[in-house]
Amino acid sequence: MIVKDAVCPFCGCLCDDIEVEVEDDRVVAVTNACELGTTKFMGEKRMKNPILRDGDRWRDITYDEAVQYAADMLLSAERPLLYGWSGTHGEAQCVGVHMAELVRGVIDNTSSVCHGPSILAIQEVGHPGCTLGVVKNRADLVIYWGSNPIDAHPRHLSRYTRYAEGFFLENAFRDRKVIVVDIRKTETANIADEFVRIKPGGDYAVLSALRAIVQGKTDTIPRTVAGVTREQLVRVANLCKNAKFGAVYFGLGLTMTRGKYKNIRNAIELVSELSRHTKFTISAMRGHYNVYGSNEVNTWMTGYPFGIDYSRGIAFYNPGETTAVDILARKECDAALIVGSDPAAHFPRKCLEHLADIPVVQLDPYPNATTAFCNVQIPVAVTGIDAEGTAYRMDGVPIRTRKVLSTDYLSDREVLSRMCALMQEALER
Amino acid sequence: MTFLMITGRTVNQGVTVENKTSAEYAAETSTCFMHEFDMLELGLDDGDTIRVTGPCGEVVMRASASVEVETGTVFVPYGPYANHIVAAGTRSTGMPDFKSHEVEIEPTDEEPKTVHELMEDLGGLAYDR
Repeated sequence: MIVKDAVCPFCGCLCDDIEVEVEDDRVVAVTNACELGTTKFMGEKRMKNPILRDGDRWRDITYDEAVQYAADMLLSAERPLLYGWSGTHGEAQCVGVHMAELVRGVIDNTSSVCHGPSILAIQEVGHPGCTLGVVKNRADLVIYWGSNPIDAHPRHLSRYTRYAEGFFLENAFRDRKVIVVDIRKTETANIADEFVRIKPGGDYAVLSALRAIVQGKTDTIPRTVAGVTREQLVRVANLCKNAKFGAVYFGLGLTMTRGKYKNIRNAIELVSELSRHTKFTISAMRGHYNVYGSNEVNTWMTGYPFGIDYSRGIAFYNPGETTAVDILARKECDAALIVGSDPAAHFPRKCLEHLADIPVVQLDPYPNATTAFCNVQIPVAVTGIDAEGTAYRMDGVPIRTRKVLSTDYLSDREVLSRMCALMQEALER
Repeated sequence: MTFLMITGRTVNQGVTVENKTSAEYAAETSTCFMHEFDMLELGLDDGDTIRVTGPCGEVVMRASASVEVETGTVFVPYGPYANHIVAAGTRSTGMPDFKSHEVEIEPTDEEPKTVHELMEDLGGLAYDR
């Protein structure tokens, strides 16, 4: 059986033109997806049943036992952390927020270690963004700043920018210019019309210099700014001003370096400046396929996009205090529920040392690095493969992912709903 | 020698990310991409092991020559090896300095640990060994 127009649940591009061939409840071939998506669809080695750490060994347990363990753990904790959420669908994220409120816990998603700083900047100065379709059809200039789509979002270039057709562009490949700004000469830099190599940590200065040039203050610019010559800065500023429609896509090269959200703020303000001359937009290259959804769901349920602390009985948000890395590094939480992410692979070691000291339950289809720190792991269906649900693309467009094959695994929403029901029951008693 | 360590996504990291206990994931995330002049100075060949010391400890990786990085900078794919030496401070943003750590690099005869070993060093228990 061939399933057409399946949605790829890997990165924020959420490509919706995938063809998946299924035989005997196994994916045997994938067409149109990139290497990352294909590998995810073809993924095997799933965990077969829930496991419990029993001293120095693992033993199999039933779903009922595992769900009861998780509910008891969260109910008896004083300051539970509910973390992850970007690798699951919106319906499961909703249940997660209810659970956090029920036990007065902290709920945070992976954006605190990816585009959290971008959201802080957007909260300061707004987000002049647009959908990917607008960029595809109108943009004659695309800037990738601190992002490397060839490695991280392989089809972004072919679906929306460098290699895409554009309705309002006669010859998109010729008429659309691509600028890459990075400290590394990445594969993406190799296919750019202009590559701007800046010294590490120099993004803020380069953005400020471009803002000055766009404002007509070129005289104030020194001969080089963070390793970039004045001539190149003027050339880039002119390319931007002369474009009919420009789009900036920025990545973790801006959010993880010195300055963090201030870099993004400066980039957004450059875009505002450019919009006095022409049309310009800016958007983040979101990583997990539904990390945008975790921000959306959290925002419409709690008022805040990530790092929400319910210990006061109401939603409280203070990144740096109520975010997962900080809470773990301060050894503050006394239990953790991990859903749809792998903090043991992506958090600094100090956080893992605390994970080893507290009870941890994880919902994940595969054994991963966090498994080693779990007391219980519950295997679940993979959204977009054997479970369906809503995910938000990197431009904020919600897309319903499809189920391409049937398995006996429960979805994240089903497991969390059972957990939540048990918790509600216990609290009412 | 002192280097600036940058971490980031690679295709191979993304391809193996759903199979984190595999040898391929360990190989990719324990690779330290360096400029060949820096490798020359340290007397390293492609694939030689190095000890990388950061603010929170040390970890063994393999050096690999790359035309993408400049001298003085090294690039390591996201994963448990780089994070073994990354500090947890977030400067009140929630985000650690994943792309701006100074590290010391020296040649070593030790082999990189497996992901299981790294997790067990920190108090975990490997599952699918």
